[in-house]
Amino acid sequence: MSESFPVEELPAALAPLPPAAALRPGPVRRIGSFLLRNPGGVIGATIVLCLVLSAVLAPIIAPYDPLHMGAGRRLTPPSPAHPFGTDEFGRDLLSRVIYGSRLTLQIGLIAVSISLGTGLLVGLVGGYSGGWVERILMRGTDVLFSFTDTLIALAAVAVLGPSLTNAMIAVGIAAIPYYARVTYGVVLVEKSKPYFDAAVAAGAGHLRIIFVHLLPNVIPPLIVVASLGVSAAVLAAAGLSFLGLGAQPPSPEWGAMLASGRDYFTRASWIMTFPGLAIALSVLGFNLLGDALREALDPRQRRR
Amino acid sequence: MARYLLKRLLSAVVTIWVTTIAVVLLIHLVPGDPVKIMFAQSQSTTPEQLETVRHNLGLDRPIYEQYAIYMSRVLHGDFGHTIRGDQPILPLLLGRLPYTLALALSSLLVATVIGLGLGFLAAYKRGTALDSLCMVLAIGGVSVPVFWLGQILILVFAVRLSWFQVAGSDWRSLILPALTLGVTNAAVVARLTRSTMIDIFNQDYIRTAWAKGLPARTVLSRHALRAGLVPIVTILGLQFTYTMGGAVIVENVFSWNGIGRLAVQAIFQRDYPLIQGFILTFACLVALVSLAMDVLYAVLDPRIVHV
Amino acid sequence: MAQVVRTSKSSRTGRIAALVLGVLAGAAVPLAALGARAADGTLVWARDGDSDSLDPQRTTTTLSWEVFAQIYDSLLAFDESGKIGPHLAKSWVVSPDGKEVSLTLNGDITCHDGAPFTAEDVKYTIDRALDAKNPSITKASWGPITSVDVVNPETVSVKFSSPFGAFLSFMTDPMASMLCRGDAKLGDKFGVSAAIGTGPFKLVSWTKGDQIVLERNTAYKNFGLPAQNKSAPHIAKLVVKNITEAQSRLAGLKTGELQVAEPPLAEVTTIKDDKTLTLVTAKNTGQDNFFEFAVHRPPFNDARARKAIAYALDIDGALDIVYGGLVDRERCPVAHPVMGSEQDFCKSVGYDYDPEKAKALLAELGYGPDKPLDVVMLSWTGGDRDKLVQVFQNQLQQVGIHAKIEMMDIGTLNARVTQENEKTTGPGTFDLMGWAWFDPDILYALWHSPGAYKGYSTPELDALLEKSRTSADPTSRLGLVHDIEKILLQEAVMIPVYTPGWNWIYAVRAEVKGFKVGPFKRPMFNDVTF
Repeated sequence: MSESFPVEELPAALAPLPPAAALRPGPVRRIGSFLLRNPGGVIGATIVLCLVLSAVLAPIIAPYDPLHMGAGRRLTPPSPAHPFGTDEFGRDLLSRVIYGSRLTLQIGLIAVSISLGTGLLVGLVGGYSGGWVERILMRGTDVLFSFTDTLIALAAVAVLGPSLTNAMIAVGIAAIPYYARVTYGVVLVEKSKPYFDAAVAAGAGHLRIIFVHLLPNVIPPLIVVASLGVSAAVLAAAGLSFLGLGAQPPSPEWGAMLASGRDYFTRASWIMTFPGLAIALSVLGFNLLGDALREALDPRQRRR
Repeated sequence: MARYLLKRLLSAVVTIWVTTIAVVLLIHLVPGDPVKIMFAQSQSTTPEQLETVRHNLGLDRPIYEQYAIYMSRVLHGDFGHTIRGDQPILPLLLGRLPYTLALALSSLLVATVIGLGLGFLAAYKRGTALDSLCMVLAIGGVSVPVFWLGQILILVFAVRLSWFQVAGSDWRSLILPALTLGVTNAAVVARLTRSTMIDIFNQDYIRTAWAKGLPARTVLSRHALRAGLVPIVTILGLQFTYTMGGAVIVENVFSWNGIGRLAVQAIFQRDYPLIQGFILTFACLVALVSLAMDVLYAVLDPRIVHV
Repeated sequence: MAQVVRTSKSSRTGRIAALVLGVLAGAAVPLAALGARAADGTLVWARDGDSDSLDPQRTTTTLSWEVFAQIYDSLLAFDESGKIGPHLAKSWVVSPDGKEVSLTLNGDITCHDGAPFTAEDVKYTIDRALDAKNPSITKASWGPITSVDVVNPETVSVKFSSPFGAFLSFMTDPMASMLCRGDAKLGDKFGVSAAIGTGPFKLVSWTKGDQIVLERNTAYKNFGLPAQNKSAPHIAKLVVKNITEAQSRLAGLKTGELQVAEPPLAEVTTIKDDKTLTLVTAKNTGQDNFFEFAVHRPPFNDARARKAIAYALDIDGALDIVYGGLVDRERCPVAHPVMGSEQDFCKSVGYDYDPEKAKALLAELGYGPDKPLDVVMLSWTGGDRDKLVQVFQNQLQQVGIHAKIEMMDIGTLNARVTQENEKTTGPGTFDLMGWAWFDPDILYALWHSPGAYKGYSTPELDALLEKSRTSADPTSRLGLVHDIEKILLQEAVMIPVYTPGWNWIYAVRAEVKGFKVGPFKRPMFNDVTF
């Protein structure tokens, strides 16, 4: 679960941050050319693209209705008619995996939106305000962080009850500290620069400062955290569904499919294999993409 | 130094204090009547009995009174009783805790050995095929869902091949869970180690050592490794927290008798007093270990005191 | 990242070495504390959960009373055919007016703490169960007892305010296990870490969530259990382990760590071919799985909606898909072999699969293809019920009923069903519930107002239930039970589905002989040798 999160960000958060204004203009162009030179990034982007296409085009490309019991005979191995085989109810596994990609994307987007939105707000307000507001917000973030995302997710599900929506919310809440800390760090750095005091002295409004000066510098590192965060959210939600605390039957969510597939492993190993591969592949894609984005956008890295 | 330690101690205390507040509030965030939800299986639960439970849990009092009651009980070591089976909670949690710790520490050992080795190797052989191979393994390890890996390991190595045991509570049944958790952790450690060591290898004094013609063994062990161990200890300290989180999942996959498994059962059974006790224990443990790590870090690198 | 640090290198190395040693030592301590492997003469039995308590008066879960049956004895016991016979009590007399039952105990019974078991212990047990301040969870099942008197050390007289036909059968139940007076001295530890009974095994320890360790009671005498062994069990120790993962239990059986365990239901066919394992299936479990409804609000306050569900379900088809012959269709509100479980009678008053009739009824209520009926189907985890409800969901879909599934732990389900019966708003809910009992008196507990879940009740039904409770003559009682069942089935208050339903299949290693499951699913280890 949490092991796949961007831990690399944390020692960085402890060490002094680089001048973010060192970002060269045209990050979009830089991202593009960098990805081309970076095979990992290309693979990652391709996988993510496939995932998005699969989710969007699911009704068109899925050969059967994912909930249709009896699409084929029960527990048949992979064959031309059913490339991923059928499950214990005779549902076509390929269709279920394809529709599951919708849920995967939903999980990633919703969970990350919650974390990003809240974390950004907290980090901005905390960093910008200073004083006791800053202390309370950032101390609160630290406390939330020390709970570990597993604990927060479990507590949230305990309160709200098991369902996929609640699992997404839980995972989203659990990841807020990462986004808050990164935002906070950037804001602190910007505040320490000369132009900042000059802008304030010149009478620039708060909103102007935030939107014109702070946000553009906050966004690139947040993009990195977000893309790695999607993979962490997907793994976390799948884990909760596997435990029975997330998606409920007959939802074709990959983690839940793994859970029901393990009873049949000796007779029908494909029921567990394909959803598991799907999860691993999607997570891999987001991780590769995130790594590549970090190399492109974070000027401190001098990898290759 | 003393000021630094005091600040860290204060930080840990604040964290635990906030946890207690969250824990007391938890019951009230539940939609519906928590007492009815909890006090489940008895068909003959009369409204009077429900009121008794409500009174015993203090839920009929205002919130600040509830908090005071809860805190005074907790400080006396009374975490209450479970709803199912009426078992005292603190001894229950403490009894299961050694299993979780055994799992966490042994998987940390696995992660350290494999992760440090792979990361160091990849950094040393940076840019070569070996480096790429190590990093492919690492990113694979980070992407694989830990419950999937665990389930497959059970089915292949225990059911099919009978190489490992999974049904006991002794060290023999610990091997597979520790490996599962350790391998996924190792991937993270490997990536972090590699980036740390690459930065160190780029340092001028290392380059000087190479230029001086010192043997590789000396350069690596006396200079690079020493410099790298401090940030690596930080990494490992953080890993403990993540391991505790991962242990919850792994315990459930392997039926390993730690507090993680107890927690999931408690959630299924809506046993809120037990859930509260679990959260409190877990948070305290993590806070204490973080504190210990902070102290250790300060001892190893006194500069950090002045950050 | 880090720069060169100008502290002494050797002291840093020393500290780091100390850290590593510390971690290793830290890992070793909990490992050393972990349990060692079981020794010979020890049978390890793995189940999918743990007991709630060792106090028979505090819980009704199957996982709990399976263990009560090892530690305690009951006054009476079922024989092989399900007939009530003697056990701790060697004979009994029911007064002509039905208001007094006098039981005579066998002599020379010893409690685990060495004290003799006498009528005083019987009185202690029953008084405790009915204690006004802290009554047992099954208080209603003891009946309307007014007093328990010790006539002499071997005879006890139980007096009732009105005749209670189900008393004798309840005396066979593990939940009516006889406690020893020594339990009173255990205080808070009773049921948690200590328990004193007269049963074939003594409690050694209970590591909650992990295992219960029992050892042979050498002084044991088997007066009435349907086992061949009339004295102490052959095995020295019985370890009851909690392993929730079915595949892990199977793995444990294969490696030999476990000797008796419930396998994953999906693997039963493969186990049949496995020479190292044998399957033991409980017969005559009395477990009834049935659908019931939240009847105090729409749509299920209208019998037509309930009947629509009954018509829409192809139960035989679903059972075949999910269980493939491992369970039987049950048509009656009480399951085989309980009195009242006459399948032909129940079939004649119940509803069969007829999707057209279901659609017609839904149309009458205003639902159709453009206005589907949205409901919530609840059930409890385990026994592959999650698969069964998915098949039912699919079948309901075919007639235009959209059922959302929610699975939960049995205790949570019990509370939720009561909740739903008390709510006045919200989508209709119905649940697949399971109950096991050996006497039709369960119908009283479930359906006599206010009802176990505050569900369906009518004065007519109440009157019939009261009469059947106090009826002493078996024939007339059967007639009354049939009348009750007719109401329940025709009004579709409940829809019986199948039997058994939980923890009824055991996989046993081939070298283990003598493991039996008695009537009403009582696992017995008295005869086991290996």
